[in-house]
Amino acid sequence: MQPLRIALAQIAPRLGDLEANLTRHHELIAEARGQGAGLVIFPELGLTGYQLQDLAADVAVRLDDPRLAGLAEAARGMSAVVSFVEESADHRLFIAAALLEDGLIRHVHRKVFLPTYGLFDERRFFAAGDVVRATPSRLGVGVGLAVCEDFWHVSTPHLLAMDGAHLLINVSSSPGRDLASTHDVGLGTAASWRTLMRTYAQLTTSFVVFCNRVGVDESLSFWGGSEVIGPTGATVFGAPMFEEGLFTADIELGDVRRERITLPLLRDERPELVAREWDRIVAGRAGLAEDAGQ
Amino acid sequence: MSVAGAGTPPEEPMFELPHELAIDTGVARRVIADFIRGQLRQAGFERAVLGLSGGIDSALVAFLVAEAIGPERLLCVMMPYRTSSPASQADAEAVVAALGCASELVEITAMVDGYFGVDGVPGEGGPDALDASPLRRGNFMARMRMATLYDRSVTWRALVVGTGNKTESLIGYTTLFGDAACAFNPIGDLYKSQVRQLAAAVGVPETVIRKAPSADLWPGQTDETEAGFTYPVLDRVLFWRVDRRRSVDEMVAMGFEAGLVERVDRMIAGSEFKRQVPPIAKLGPRTAGVDYLYPRRRPGSARP
Repeated sequence: MQPLRIALAQIAPRLGDLEANLTRHHELIAEARGQGAGLVIFPELGLTGYQLQDLAADVAVRLDDPRLAGLAEAARGMSAVVSFVEESADHRLFIAAALLEDGLIRHVHRKVFLPTYGLFDERRFFAAGDVVRATPSRLGVGVGLAVCEDFWHVSTPHLLAMDGAHLLINVSSSPGRDLASTHDVGLGTAASWRTLMRTYAQLTTSFVVFCNRVGVDESLSFWGGSEVIGPTGATVFGAPMFEEGLFTADIELGDVRRERITLPLLRDERPELVAREWDRIVAGRAGLAEDAGQ
Repeated sequence: MSVAGAGTPPEEPMFELPHELAIDTGVARRVIADFIRGQLRQAGFERAVLGLSGGIDSALVAFLVAEAIGPERLLCVMMPYRTSSPASQADAEAVVAALGCASELVEITAMVDGYFGVDGVPGEGGPDALDASPLRRGNFMARMRMATLYDRSVTWRALVVGTGNKTESLIGYTTLFGDAACAFNPIGDLYKSQVRQLAAAVGVPETVIRKAPSADLWPGQTDETEAGFTYPVLDRVLFWRVDRRRSVDEMVAMGFEAGLVERVDRMIAGSEFKRQVPPIAKLGPRTAGVDYLYPRRRPGSARP
């Protein structure tokens, strides 16, 4: 299997300025191509900025929008992951990430878990996705897309890996907070994310790629620190925190096979058991189980 | 935890830093510098103006702004009243000299005395204003300084940078539309103890860090004698109560005095109005702050 060069576009999108961000995407896709990348990844809402509030409706695009087709065309010969506000035919707004390949939108993931607590208010402005599915890709392996909070639910990486992903890609707009000096990287948010990425990579014996934005929207500062973690849980690459740039990392996709032969965790998974127990738990939580105690 | 100043013996700490409040100052500087640049860029401004009192809060913000955009784009305005401490003035000048930024001296004495009157002669505020309480005078001074800064923001073509810290904001030790007025605030989420830690890290003069905090509304006034507790204690109460959501009972179990916690609670609740935008009576279909919610800056909102 060919080595793959991944380009992480750790950008600072301009809030609400779709055209300016689109231009920046085109520039960086060209730059990634020039550097020999086979996959270029942009952060969550890289085309619009994060703290949109009521602007979300103004910057939403349909999947047949020619501007998305233009990005797909620009990325021809590579794979690209871009993120934007998707408006569905029935006018729901989703936070979406799309895999662009061969001039087409190969796959769209709509953010499933919308944080609406603390500093987040996503459910007020967006609809939640209902699907977690891996997709085949021109890279020769399955790809699993997820957006930020989706990875604060262990079900997401688990489902994606079980559905055939070798490469789990999380695009994020993670605001930095909790500056306590006791954290190993000086920022509580970053320390938590770093733990998650390593854990998921090891438990799913997959590559995990985290692409987080930088810059400032209103009060929020985004911390970057994009990463590539190998299927053993070892760090392949870490981008600097807070620094804008296009960072590349080389991976050997064959490492997934080697690790899964050595450590056959996915082989030994018991999805039928999980599904059976989930059915029971779901019924219990809905008050439908025969002996539902509460 | 105690932090010694450069060149001072360790038995003379510059300030007391409760360990749970210690921050990574490198990350804080990075975040704040990006924040300052981002606020200015999104608004279409290149320069900043702030009121420099000689105290640690405004000194720290001056250092942070200079670090973010360069001292040549910063204007520090010193606005003493006739009773203001000459030492404060000297400390403010030391900060300006250390940074090499622009500065201006605007005395507010005539503005304040013109309202309250002076030497038994009434001002525009009427004869009763001659006997105005320190509270009225202090608030008025803070608002004259605000008016001056916003005027200078036009001539300097700048945004007004806030210099209030989290401690004074939470207990309401601020003047509404006075010292609390600003375009953005880089240190409003840092407790006083954290302000001190960051001030030491960025090189604020040691005399400014060491001296007792004071609103300087009358000679000899200090925050801590007025409030009756020290900043490290107050900061710890606020941190555990607000940031870590500890109940009063849990606070007492941790060793805090119940009376202190309850008093701080009342100060927080009593000053909630100072931390929020005034409510608008909801009448129309879309109301600012209620169901008309936009970022402060978006394409087209930057000053051309």
